[in-house]
Amino acid sequence: MTPSSDSRARPSWLAEQSNLIGLAAIIILFWFLFTSLAPGFVSSFNLFALSRSLAVDIVIGFSTMVVLATGGMNLAIGSIGVCAVMASGYLMQTIGLPIPVAMALALLLGAFLGWLNGFVIVRSGVNSFIITLASASLFLGGMLILSKAQTFNALPPEIAAFGRMRWGGFVSPLLLVALAIGAALVVLFRFTALGREILAAGANPRAAELSGVPVGRAIIIAHTLSGALAASAGLMLVFRLGAAMPSIGQDWLLPSFLAPVLGGTLLAGGFVSVVGTILGALLVTTLRSGLLVMQIGNFWLQLFLGLILLAAVMIDRYRGVYAERRSLGRKTNLGRKESGRRA
Amino acid sequence: MSQNRNLTFGQRFLANEWSALAVAIVIGLVTLATLSSAFLTEFNLYVMLRSFCVVLIVAFAQMLTLAVGQMNLSVGALGGLVAIAVGGMMEKWGFPVPVAILCGLAIGAGGGLINGLLTVRTGINGFIITLATASAFTGINLGITESIPFYNLPASFVAFGTGRISALPYLLLPPVLIAIALAFFLARTVPGRQLLAVGGNPQAAELSGIPRDGVIVMAHTLSGLLAGAAAILAVAQLGSAQPSIGVDWLLMSFAAPIIGGAALAGGHISVAATALAVVLIVIIQNGMVLAKVDPYWVQFLLGALILAAVGLNRLRAVRAGGA
Repeated sequence: MTPSSDSRARPSWLAEQSNLIGLAAIIILFWFLFTSLAPGFVSSFNLFALSRSLAVDIVIGFSTMVVLATGGMNLAIGSIGVCAVMASGYLMQTIGLPIPVAMALALLLGAFLGWLNGFVIVRSGVNSFIITLASASLFLGGMLILSKAQTFNALPPEIAAFGRMRWGGFVSPLLLVALAIGAALVVLFRFTALGREILAAGANPRAAELSGVPVGRAIIIAHTLSGALAASAGLMLVFRLGAAMPSIGQDWLLPSFLAPVLGGTLLAGGFVSVVGTILGALLVTTLRSGLLVMQIGNFWLQLFLGLILLAAVMIDRYRGVYAERRSLGRKTNLGRKESGRRA
Repeated sequence: MSQNRNLTFGQRFLANEWSALAVAIVIGLVTLATLSSAFLTEFNLYVMLRSFCVVLIVAFAQMLTLAVGQMNLSVGALGGLVAIAVGGMMEKWGFPVPVAILCGLAIGAGGGLINGLLTVRTGINGFIITLATASAFTGINLGITESIPFYNLPASFVAFGTGRISALPYLLLPPVLIAIALAFFLARTVPGRQLLAVGGNPQAAELSGIPRDGVIVMAHTLSGLLAGAAAILAVAQLGSAQPSIGVDWLLMSFAAPIIGGAALAGGHISVAATALAVVLIVIIQNGMVLAKVDPYWVQFLLGALILAAVGLNRLRAVRAGGA
């Protein structure tokens, strides 16, 4: 997927804001709907549960977002997440390392696995889809072989205690961690040379290379970051569950793409929206929680999430077409068809 | 990469995408036959051939979308939906077996058609479209069944799934017919050639008057049809319509065509090489079972195998380019 540059120019500031406002409006609508249909939705118990799962959804979304920035994708997020989870469980329960040390090592492992993805992608020149599909299987298989799929459920009690902690009645500290990561990503992409390089590598690799951007390095760093973020999301689940389970991460694929894509991050690369990803994750979490409270249950949830993703990308597509028409009718057919079209 | 050493042998070996696969298969067969006395027994061959059937059709389903440079993440989800639909039609509504099968195939093709139309009409990346429809199909599947399988299937249907002539399962018949039909379709028919042309070079194909969008929709529809066929075989094989059919198809569906040498960019696929890749995967799985290794090794090895195949394809492309 190497799209030409002009087929997906960076959305204008105004278009970006209108997307965010639209997303926020949809979220508010659903909050009104769920609150009026099921008063339990805004109980402090449910809000607390919501804030905890929101934290995880946001970080999963970030993990995909940083790779989308380069125009690639990372299907191994769930596998990297669960590798970090099981490593932290092993280090705390079997080795008996202190919590911060174990967590730091697990994050390092996630970053390393992400680096491995990036390294192989850049060195082989093969599509990131295939590499991460294969490495997802490799990482998951390796984790299962080493852990024998055993749950670590005798973790230090502080873990579960931190997961249960509430601030202001219903806010989990995990949510603040997720938002802090978001703030750091805003700084990275808006104010640092590295963030600019990652975006440039995604927007137009050839042009970036010609203007002296180390494209390969940018892609490897984005994947390393993605791995570390996937590991963070996994560790958040360890706090929430109070245990390190080998089943974590297997259902991350859809939400990991939902949050950034709903939030306006381009699949083709070159543009990310951190706030959009947070709002996208909020929409996903809201729907999941609302349908649960209304006892529609998990069974239909998949259908709703799928339909919402479809609706969102179509709206985004027509927004894109509108933007293209306004950009002085540049002929973009060739590039778009070659690239399998932008999303 | 040393391009000039061993040129003749290396080139000849690498240029043929079957050779590496064939060598791997022969090595696997010989190793397993010498190490395990259970390997070449009639029953073990039957077990292997049985597991070959569903995987082969799943691989074909993905191969067709890869052929036009697309991908179909919804093969498994669509398969699951077809599986429970066929099971439900037979158990709850008492449909005769052929009618239920035809309806199931129609649902599969319909799902594929939706994928294709959405991809072409909106111009959105097929990855995202099929990721979304996969979730929708799974949602319908789980919403209808609430994860409860259909167990009471017609005896004749279940008998087909377990019947065999010595080592040859009846189940092998549909995949073999499908493979022959596909090979003929891709090599000898106009739509088949158009499909490969669009995958190979979309612009050139379009300029030569091939309806590009129509061909992509066709590829997705056929992919859905094959996913449905695979699901029906899986139901016959298991003897019950499990809502979980298809959840583990995704990796397999990409693994076989890629190991068989399908270029992800499209246009280059081989029915025979894909089938050989499935044979290799089945042999590896069977070897793992005979060696009583952790089943998790299969997952690990499949990932490694894909990476190895990608690396080999890459090497072959480099050599071909350098020659």
